[in-house]
Amino acid sequence: MSSLTDIAIRVLRQREVGLLLLIIVVTAIVSTVDPGFLAVGNLKDILVRSAPTAIVACGVMLVVVTGEIDISVGSLMALLAALMGLLISRHEWQLSMWVGIPAVLLCGTLIGLLTGTLVTLGKVPSIIVTLGLLTALRGATTLLMRGENIDGLPEGLQSLAKSGIGGLPLSVWTAMGVLMFTGVIITHTALGRRLFALGSSAYAAKMTGLSETRLKLFAFAYTGFLTALATVVDVPRLPKIESGIGNGFELLVVTCVVVGGVAISGGRGRLVGVMLAVVLLTMVRPVLTFLDVGEAGEKWTKAIQGLFILLAVITDTVVSRRPTGSARGPVPVKPSSHLESEGAPA
Amino acid sequence: MNISDGKRRFPWWHEAVLGVLLIALLITAGIVNPGFLNLRGQLLLSRHLWEFALLALPMTLIILTGGIDLSVGSAMGMCAVAFGMCYSSTGSVALSCLVCLLVGVAGGGVNGWLISRMNVHPLIVTLATYAAFRGLGEGLSQGESYSQFGEDFSEVARGMWGGVPIPAYLFGLLALGCALFLSRTPGGRYVYAIGHNEQAVRFSGVNVGRVKLLLYASSGLMAGLTTIIYVSRFDTAKADAGTGFELDVITAVVVGGTSIYGGRGNIGGTVLGLLLIHETRQFVSRQWQVDELKSIVVGLLLIGSLLLYRGMQVRNRE
Repeated sequence: MSSLTDIAIRVLRQREVGLLLLIIVVTAIVSTVDPGFLAVGNLKDILVRSAPTAIVACGVMLVVVTGEIDISVGSLMALLAALMGLLISRHEWQLSMWVGIPAVLLCGTLIGLLTGTLVTLGKVPSIIVTLGLLTALRGATTLLMRGENIDGLPEGLQSLAKSGIGGLPLSVWTAMGVLMFTGVIITHTALGRRLFALGSSAYAAKMTGLSETRLKLFAFAYTGFLTALATVVDVPRLPKIESGIGNGFELLVVTCVVVGGVAISGGRGRLVGVMLAVVLLTMVRPVLTFLDVGEAGEKWTKAIQGLFILLAVITDTVVSRRPTGSARGPVPVKPSSHLESEGAPA
Repeated sequence: MNISDGKRRFPWWHEAVLGVLLIALLITAGIVNPGFLNLRGQLLLSRHLWEFALLALPMTLIILTGGIDLSVGSAMGMCAVAFGMCYSSTGSVALSCLVCLLVGVAGGGVNGWLISRMNVHPLIVTLATYAAFRGLGEGLSQGESYSQFGEDFSEVARGMWGGVPIPAYLFGLLALGCALFLSRTPGGRYVYAIGHNEQAVRFSGVNVGRVKLLLYASSGLMAGLTTIIYVSRFDTAKADAGTGFELDVITAVVVGGTSIYGGRGNIGGTVLGLLLIHETRQFVSRQWQVDELKSIVVGLLLIGSLLLYRGMQVRNRE
């Protein structure tokens, strides 16, 4: 066993390092082809595109850390966008922004709480609850919008979302705030430790007296709140609100969380990794544009995103199977997945 | 959870509840709209049911092992593109069908290989291939659609034998096969056993990896077969074939009483689940003429049925 592969394996074990290397390599290649890729305007564009994903990924990451999953955020975003349009656009109810936006945030949180309640008290698996909501909320959105697009959001909100403060749109500032807040929750609060403890062993967490119900309720409600926040700051950027908003968004977010190194079985993962994954996956489309592969290239976006997840999981398995020379042995493979461990000793 | 403590009285609770719900729905529908119960009309409107139904068979087996396959809809997109490309270059329908099936098996095989050999969670693997298969189809076809495969080929999906659509016979045959496989063969027992306790099955000398590989490959094969029917029905092959099918199929299986944790469920439940969802949709769309209502009702049905099953389980334990 040469020391070089040893080092390579040790580097790849740190998901963040691998992702960062990948981002740097891709950026280097693209900017040699077209230096315009590194222009401030383009970098800003990538930031703006990644902002809503980053905001929601903070919530979904916590959900996954507790061993659950949320695949309803895309439809929730559409429903909240429609609600926001109805409440504050000048063609509809014409409520004040200061009433409408808190209402949207509250509604997002309540739907998150509802999901959490069904999962914890209703004991329905989270994948099923959110699958059902994915369908139901999308239907509710189209029903709410009666097949028409909504425009005419307040000017102030639109300009904040587009040009923003200090040259960066509102969504980017919000994403930074949410990131810091979530980072503090994870590393500096008991709540964060408890979420991870619950994810690594639900049984042990229960024995220590942690409330599984309350922790999971928090994770789902937080995700709902963040989805509403992302809707409020990002959707006004668009010229009009359509019912197709957020289509496939849930999968993008879950992809980012998984590629970012959060274990789907819960209990393991870092926010930095998730954010790097958000940037990497958001870069795919601009990169294809800049490589000048034209219309033909854009059609490959989904294939490349899928490939990234596969790459991430394969590296994970290969790397964790090969022990390095150090005392750090192979990562033990959990015998049961989070789906099965649900029925833990009663 | 289903392993009884000696005095399980009646093992068909799920099926009974589903049956009652279905009958109640049909009676209500019949009273509200007497034309609804017309058998001929029902069969005519059942065309798209058979595609979900076929996909639901391997999905039942996979969910029984505690796995899931989110990629079936996307696999259909990839298969449809393969079908179209093969037809436009060779002009042979038979060859295109063969290619379509092979691509399906290959896709399912990739899923199975990653899940069984690399030990990656099925949810993650099929989430990746959900994006990758659809992306491959879109990339290769560049959004182009292929059509005009000839009159004879359209008959595959549109044709009727004795008033019943041809795909219905195919489904009947395969459903019977799956049911017999589950209840009468060692392979079927392994499927249930893996869902209950995979580790124990592995220790008792069963090649768990191979069982899983075969299951996911058969799911891919079924996606290929379904694509042939789908393409024949619309006479068009495009990368967007089967969009969103995975959700409807999983919903039908879960409503049919198969536990998402594996180990409990059967084909009969899935058939009832399929019928219940299909009839609910028909009823809702005829009664209110609002398409969006269908997805709300189906979503609520999914969550509601699981809540109901959970409630029944708690009572049984007491």
